[in-house]
Amino acid sequence: MSPTTDSPHGSARLAARALTLAYEDRTVVHELDLAVPDGQVTVIVGPNACGKSTTLRALGRLLKPRGGAVLLDGTELARIPTKRIAQSIGLLPQTPVAPEAITVSDLVARGRQPHQSWWQQWSDADERAVTDAMSRTDVTALAERSVDELSGGQRQRVWIAMALAQETDLLLLDEPTTYLDIAHQVEVLDLVRQLASPAADGTRGRTVVTVLHDLNQAARYADHLVAMKEGRIVAEGRPGDVVTAGLVREVFGLEAVIVPDPVTGSPLVVPGAPWTPAPVPAPAPTPGKAL
Amino acid sequence: MSESSTAVRVRPAGYSVVKAGPRGRFLLHRRASVVAAALVVLLAVVCVAYLCVGESFVAPGEVVKVILGQPSSAELVVGTLRLPRMVVGLLVGVAFGIAGALIQTVARNPLASPDIIGISQGASALTVGAMTFGITSYTFLPYLSVVGGIAAAALVYVFAWRGGLHATRFVLIGIGIAIALRSVTTLFLTKGDYLVAQQAQIWMTGSLNGRGWPEAAPLAWTLLVLLPAVAWAARAQRTVTMDDDTATALGVRLGRVRLGLVALGVVLASVATGTAGPVDFVALLAPQIARRMTRTAQIPLLSSALLGAVIVVLGDLLARRLFSPTELPVGVLTAAVGAPYLIWLIIRGHRGRSGGTA
Repeated sequence: MSPTTDSPHGSARLAARALTLAYEDRTVVHELDLAVPDGQVTVIVGPNACGKSTTLRALGRLLKPRGGAVLLDGTELARIPTKRIAQSIGLLPQTPVAPEAITVSDLVARGRQPHQSWWQQWSDADERAVTDAMSRTDVTALAERSVDELSGGQRQRVWIAMALAQETDLLLLDEPTTYLDIAHQVEVLDLVRQLASPAADGTRGRTVVTVLHDLNQAARYADHLVAMKEGRIVAEGRPGDVVTAGLVREVFGLEAVIVPDPVTGSPLVVPGAPWTPAPVPAPAPTPGKAL
Repeated sequence: MSESSTAVRVRPAGYSVVKAGPRGRFLLHRRASVVAAALVVLLAVVCVAYLCVGESFVAPGEVVKVILGQPSSAELVVGTLRLPRMVVGLLVGVAFGIAGALIQTVARNPLASPDIIGISQGASALTVGAMTFGITSYTFLPYLSVVGGIAAAALVYVFAWRGGLHATRFVLIGIGIAIALRSVTTLFLTKGDYLVAQQAQIWMTGSLNGRGWPEAAPLAWTLLVLLPAVAWAARAQRTVTMDDDTATALGVRLGRVRLGLVALGVVLASVATGTAGPVDFVALLAPQIARRMTRTAQIPLLSSALLGAVIVVLGDLLARRLFSPTELPVGVLTAAVGAPYLIWLIIRGHRGRSGGTA
């Protein structure tokens, strides 16, 4: 219906144009151009403080651009009422804070906020969305529990359920695997893949943009990988094309060997041999030094 | 996994959906509704007791007669002396209860209430200042007090604003401004005439003495006019209890919602202060007790309002009778109960509970 930006990677409802982002007078992201491919999982990677989370926040209008713009269906985010943005873009921050003593189902239900009004605080659609979101994230059994008393993994699933209940085409997740053990990380990332995959009736899956720390996980789960360094995109494309020894060296300053992942065949980054003490030379007697 | 969606339908735990008309659908917290109903009963009992007890005891039957407008021998004592004063206390309590709930919600801090963050102090400073300049009309002073309260709140808001409202900064700056304004009040008191200072001192403790229909009317009108805003606030409150990013991502215009909630709280607190003086700790206590009773994720407005009314009416009853024939100002009593609670709150907060997030 609305104009979408075409990118080399297919249509893109969400895009950044010459996006410059800054905190106070420190510029973090410089004239960044990005088209988020529809119905795919886009993963942004990069070293600490490269501006990846900042970029994600701007894509979700949590941060006003210093220059350039973020476009949703061709319109600047700044020109769209925030409630209408919330009907298209869902965002889960890195460390969301739940109201004290709130129950799981109450928190998930708050994801319906942009679809409700003062005189319509609950509808059949709300109930369907909340029920569905909770079963997809496997938190239905926790419905009446207090969020305060959940484990880290459970809590993260509840937050994702809240974002899912919002039923947006676009979903932005800021490091959703932080604080999770490896099993829960895999669980969350599998869910992300599931969300982006087309439904049985052929309708396109959701568009997911996420920031990840682990390069190997990013290579495994991304359709579209974006590597950032010092506020700029260094490379983007399919993980198989992007992740090379040269890129890892350039972006992370790390010497590594790239081998095919034995399970998925995606690129697997194996850093160089760990530090070991140099072979100890025969102790030369040093006079005057005692222990 | 998605097949299970046809099985159990999930609703927010503890809530019922109430239909109103063809399109209206409201979420009602069941426990909060029961608590509110119980508080209405408690308030009724306290009110009848208030009207019965005094210099002379009036039987509850006579009291009911007076309320229903039937001829009674207690018409003068109950209808003319006790009832108007009780109604003022009730309305003041309701206003303080709601004001405290709103300000604590926005500040995300149980310590934040109009009498802690400078609103009462702003009202006091201007009122006492006016008194020392010879303005002693009780019909005019409340308006000045409202101006003082709102001005103080605006000052706090401006100083606490750094491209957004940071909850902790809001409270700390409020406390600072409260201290500064208190010293202004003290200055007025020491400069002023001895008799005026004494009168001002009583006003500053918070007292219902001598209050009646003329004071009740503007308060009642204010509450009535603000009722739609309070109804809005009850819903808007939900969204500001989350962190800023999450709330914004859900399409909430946080800046406006916060300003709206604080403004409403400030007006209510200022009007109540203008009528009865700063009845300390009512706005602090009522919302916190109410929330512990309802166990809701946000502070319940209705229960806070009812509890505020119970505290002020019961407090005034006790203040009148406890040391009779000496009548204490109600503020002395609420302070005696509230101060230990405040200390307890601070001690508990220092044990590392997550009370004041943000």
